[in-house]
Amino acid sequence: MDFLVSSFASALRLIGSFSPDVVDAVGTSLSVSAGATVFAALFGIPLGLLVGLSDFPLKRMVVTLLNTLMAVPTVVVGLLVYGFLSRQGPLGVLGLLFTPTAIVIGGVLLAAPIVANYALASVRGADPRIVPTALTLGAGRFQAVGTLVGEIRFGILAAVIAGFGRVVSEVGVAMMLGGNIRGYTRTMTTAIALETSKGEFAFGMALGIVLMMVALIVNLFLNLLQQR
Amino acid sequence: MYRLQSIRKCYGSNVALDIEELTIAEGRLYTLTGANGAGKSTLLSILAFLAPPTSGEIFYAGKRVDRDHGSVEEYRRKVTLLHQSPYLFGGSVDDNVAFGLKVRGIRGEEQRRRIDEALDVVGLRGFRDRKARELSGGEAQRVAMARALALKPEVLLLDEPLANIDRETTGLLEAVIASLPAQGTTVVMTTHDPDHPGRLNGESIFLEGGRHVLQSLR
Repeated sequence: MDFLVSSFASALRLIGSFSPDVVDAVGTSLSVSAGATVFAALFGIPLGLLVGLSDFPLKRMVVTLLNTLMAVPTVVVGLLVYGFLSRQGPLGVLGLLFTPTAIVIGGVLLAAPIVANYALASVRGADPRIVPTALTLGAGRFQAVGTLVGEIRFGILAAVIAGFGRVVSEVGVAMMLGGNIRGYTRTMTTAIALETSKGEFAFGMALGIVLMMVALIVNLFLNLLQQR
Repeated sequence: MYRLQSIRKCYGSNVALDIEELTIAEGRLYTLTGANGAGKSTLLSILAFLAPPTSGEIFYAGKRVDRDHGSVEEYRRKVTLLHQSPYLFGGSVDDNVAFGLKVRGIRGEEQRRRIDEALDVVGLRGFRDRKARELSGGEAQRVAMARALALKPEVLLLDEPLANIDRETTGLLEAVIASLPAQGTTVVMTTHDPDHPGRLNGESIFLEGGRHVLQSLR
């Protein structure tokens, strides 16, 4: 128990002293997660809306596929993207492997199905009168969809936040595609994995606390918006 | 205003509507009656250009409505459907009444004037800043009516607008509805109240099993 208490105290000291290693890992984590979330939202939200609002053959199969992609292990995504970005891979000439961009690419693949599924669930749960009401008041098809998005904006926002949560908390993609390079591609999760295996438990705990704080702040922000 | 020819609406093998011919004249008020499932709401959706008929022809103001080669948006902007339990968008009463005006590019002073006029007509002056979701059922119905009236539609389609509201609101909305034909608005309203045609000085269209079986003239 003493070990945990002393580690926790050391972790708080590390956070309070703005340890450069902690700051670097936090900064890298937040920037790659934000980047991946933006691209995942740009792709996932329209996809969720499209699937939710239209009827087409194989729709059920597409929905099942989206659900399955949510559960794909991060290391599988890491492996797949690694295959494309490694020197022998089709995109190897771009030299992206072991860069923050590679983590963003993997993060987009992880987060986009989550964002799309959440957006789809929001559309399905929306009041069915929204679009006909907008149309009969003279809105065009796109304006009506825009109105729907406005009415379900908290569901869409929750979709984006869930996508961010997936990326910021994963370790497989960041490790395999980023390479855990100190000060460059080392994220909070990869740093926790590395430092704990080296016996630096307090350092890992410091990053764990920051990670939890990020999750808490993001959810507080969502709650605040919902109350407005 | 409308001429419907051989209109059928099917959902799978179920024929919801099968009308050989129906004419709705401009500037008149029609009550649409029939049992539940007679096809009243389906007919209103078709008249509102929200749902295409499975087959048949619709003529509006003498022009054939061609969904394949023309935009129905043009027609939708002339016709407004008010539902029995209308959906009010999140935001204020003002946001709701302004919605259709904004999509038509009506802004500024003209928008403000139309909103005030419409809210006055339904007795909700002073409600502009109220949150739409916090209104009572009768108030919400009146806001929805104001939202439709602000657009000055050529045709107002009403799907049981007087169901589930209190007597005072019913009286007010009946008076508003009855006054519309004199202002040039064609009104088609579904109802279960057999007294409505007489009380609203309207004509009656009767549907049974999706078929147009009777049209009484004043």
